[in-house]
Amino acid sequence: MRQKKIIPTDMQAARQLAEDLLQEVEAKGYSESMQFAIRLALEEALSNAIKHGNRYDPDKSITVEAEIKDDHTAITVADEGEGFDPAAVPDPTADENLEKPSGRGIMLMRAYMDTVQFSKRGNQVSLVKNRC
Amino acid sequence: MTALAHKPLRLDVRREGGAAVVKVSGSVSISDANRLREQLEALAGEKVPVIVLELSEMDFISSLGLGAIISGHLKCRHHRGQIKLVNPTAAVRELLETTRLTKLFGVYGSVEQAVRQA
Repeated sequence: MRQKKIIPTDMQAARQLAEDLLQEVEAKGYSESMQFAIRLALEEALSNAIKHGNRYDPDKSITVEAEIKDDHTAITVADEGEGFDPAAVPDPTADENLEKPSGRGIMLMRAYMDTVQFSKRGNQVSLVKNRC
Repeated sequence: MTALAHKPLRLDVRREGGAAVVKVSGSVSISDANRLREQLEALAGEKVPVIVLELSEMDFISSLGLGAIISGHLKCRHHRGQIKLVNPTAAVRELLETTRLTKLFGVYGSVEQAVRQA
């Protein structure tokens, strides 16, 4: 069943949401490495929404839709920001960017999930992890 | 309880020789990364020559936590200090390799080894 949750622009609320969804992922019997991957991608999407999307604006919210099935997990995270062009984000693994404290979120979502799709405006990301 | 969730972050600091050893336990979730950043920046502010992060019981970290370690590294560099990583779990080691941060930080098998090679 697809579930929809709306949380405030707040790291604690985001952490709680991530933990709640991860409990469901574990209850489905996903391996620890898959749980790690889903949690990582979800936290990256949520922190991007808080920092870069809603820019910590407490009047804005984040909408998360999740479908946790036996064969896959699909999560969509949407913020109320202006969006961005993911292609314009520099490669964080390039030598000249290794010492930058931020900018790894999108690369990690792509590395750990099977599908990562941004909306045209760039304020919504859809993540899919297929169970293997 | 899940394998990853509900494991609160714990930071235990001790001194070994001239190094500060920070044992990181639990998860560095998005709401905990600032605690790690503040701890590392405080040690860097004391001009500790080597900060060793003992990671064998840290089961999760995201890019915010990695950014906290990098912030500590940048602050350490002001006094030619270093941050070294010890015994990350397989999942965290893979994350360090995926981000190529193994190029930035030495990864050691034991605290003794990390301190000895300071």
